[in-house]
Amino acid sequence: MSAPLVTEAEAAATAPATEPAVGTRSAWRTFFRQPSGLLAAAVLVVMVLLAVFAPLIADEPGGTSPDVLRSPSGGHLFGTDDLGQDIFAQVVWGTRTSLLIGVAASLIAIVLGTAIGLASAYFRRVDAVGTVVTDVMLALPTLPLMIMLAAIVNPSVWTLTVIIGVFAWPEVARLIRSQGLVVSAMPYIDGARVLGASGWRIVTREILPAVVPLIVVSVLLTASRAVISEAGLSFLGLGDPDAWSWGRILLNAQRSGVVAIAWWQTLFPSLAILLLVLAATVAGMRFNDIRDPRRNGG
Amino acid sequence: MARFVLNRALKAVLTVWIAITATFFLLRLLPGDPTTLMVEGDMTPEMRAALLKTYGLDRPLLEQYVSYLRELLHGNFGISFRQIQPVSDILLDRLPWTLLLAGVAFLLTIAVGIPIGVYAAAHRGRWPDRLLQGFGIAGHALFVPSVAMLLLVWLGARLGWFPIGGAIDPDTRGLAAYLSLAHHLVLPVASLVLVQLGPYALTLRTNLIDVLGEDYIRAARARGLSGRRRLWKHGLRNAILPALTLMGLQLGTLVGGAVLTETVFAYPGVGRLIYEAVGQRDYPVLQGAFIMLAITVVVANALTDLLYAVLNPRIRL
Repeated sequence: MSAPLVTEAEAAATAPATEPAVGTRSAWRTFFRQPSGLLAAAVLVVMVLLAVFAPLIADEPGGTSPDVLRSPSGGHLFGTDDLGQDIFAQVVWGTRTSLLIGVAASLIAIVLGTAIGLASAYFRRVDAVGTVVTDVMLALPTLPLMIMLAAIVNPSVWTLTVIIGVFAWPEVARLIRSQGLVVSAMPYIDGARVLGASGWRIVTREILPAVVPLIVVSVLLTASRAVISEAGLSFLGLGDPDAWSWGRILLNAQRSGVVAIAWWQTLFPSLAILLLVLAATVAGMRFNDIRDPRRNGG
Repeated sequence: MARFVLNRALKAVLTVWIAITATFFLLRLLPGDPTTLMVEGDMTPEMRAALLKTYGLDRPLLEQYVSYLRELLHGNFGISFRQIQPVSDILLDRLPWTLLLAGVAFLLTIAVGIPIGVYAAAHRGRWPDRLLQGFGIAGHALFVPSVAMLLLVWLGARLGWFPIGGAIDPDTRGLAAYLSLAHHLVLPVASLVLVQLGPYALTLRTNLIDVLGEDYIRAARARGLSGRRRLWKHGLRNAILPALTLMGLQLGTLVGGAVLTETVFAYPGVGRLIYEAVGQRDYPVLQGAFIMLAITVVVANALTDLLYAVLNPRIRL
């Protein structure tokens, strides 16, 4: 949302290891050693299971029922909305959309951001253009831009994914570029150049592997931003009308004017957003700890 | 000084120009013919002709682009489909509210964020610091409408301390009007500040800890200055400037947050306008609102940079 969790300076300061500083097994141990890492991973796994098995957990919400605006009870865990639809079912089905868009948009942003960041780090000429474009994108208010585009194309899960992904890459590019610059200056890159390796080969075979750990961190942090963006667009009425999403539940509460009465209709989707984004962010930070051996204290 | 200002102004103009150009071509690359987007069935033939003439939609793309830029320079943002009045008039009506909301939130985040960041840095590793770390990370996960709705329901509807919508009570005059304005502003501003504050103060604290490790702080310590004095007089002075820049970089996010907050509180700014225009698919308004907000953010960012240069003794202007 706001200030970057992994700053450019931090990324550059971390000497990228050409070989992982710690073995895979002990890396996982580092990840899980702190309870926050374990908890974050558990929340993410539960969310994925909810999304995958949504049809088995709850019927797809739709239609109307006489049970309007019921507060949470045994029959309706999260209560019902003004149409009598079950909020629990809406939240469960909303998990699908949020996760799908979060992950897919994050992948688009990562591919674009990594390509642009690495090319900028190694090729001087690309850097001149790449840096200007990245700076411009970072300077502009992204949400109004995404709103404008989403309003013009008919919003669906896929168009939203593309729009969010296409505007989330600059942060990734900046992070990858700053670490790519450090790697580019390393002696083994000169070595590869002396041996006659092409620029393409150096970027893809020598520099890319060195920034992979940072990419893993970026995927998680970018996905959490994408989830927030999707919720924002859906809340403004730009979500996929055929798919449930947490932002849409909040929009329904806002539109039907029941916010002050039906607290459950805003509380549960809000908690879902908070939990998912928090878990992804914490997981990203724990991965970042593994990446930087100085921080994990052995 | 003149050269620095000129450079910064050029950069700002370039950014806005790229934004406008990219928007123009993007909108024409997207599926859907711009004529069907811009001209709706329920307009009179005269309006339709006027619109087509304003946009020159029958001419080649490049020519359209040049005339679009020329119109923008003259302050012509096109005509709203729904309200049948110039987009620029609608936007200028709404912009002051957004500037007020985002401006107050901006200043308040800095004013509250700096002491919190300094306090946490001074108590590094102890509970105030740990609390801030938690709050800072949680801030990334806070969804603006969630926070806004929580405040609206709890402090607005349940306790009745603050109005739940609008920007001012139209029946008030003079001092009462200003009080009403401030009263209506509390919850929307609080929603924005709550979301921005944690990550901001946390980054500030981290910067400050870096500063406290520098040579001149060690020199101050060697001269026998107390910890508190080192922190507030030497450390803070050097951390405030990056704090300003950092907030400048958050302007885009702040404006995005304002769009969502205004929607929740029916605050009559550009954000609420965007929400209404989305419902009516009023594309000229959406495009104009984006350009207007982009200009606002870029100008504010440039001003922040200039203030930085003025305040920083290391930059001689």
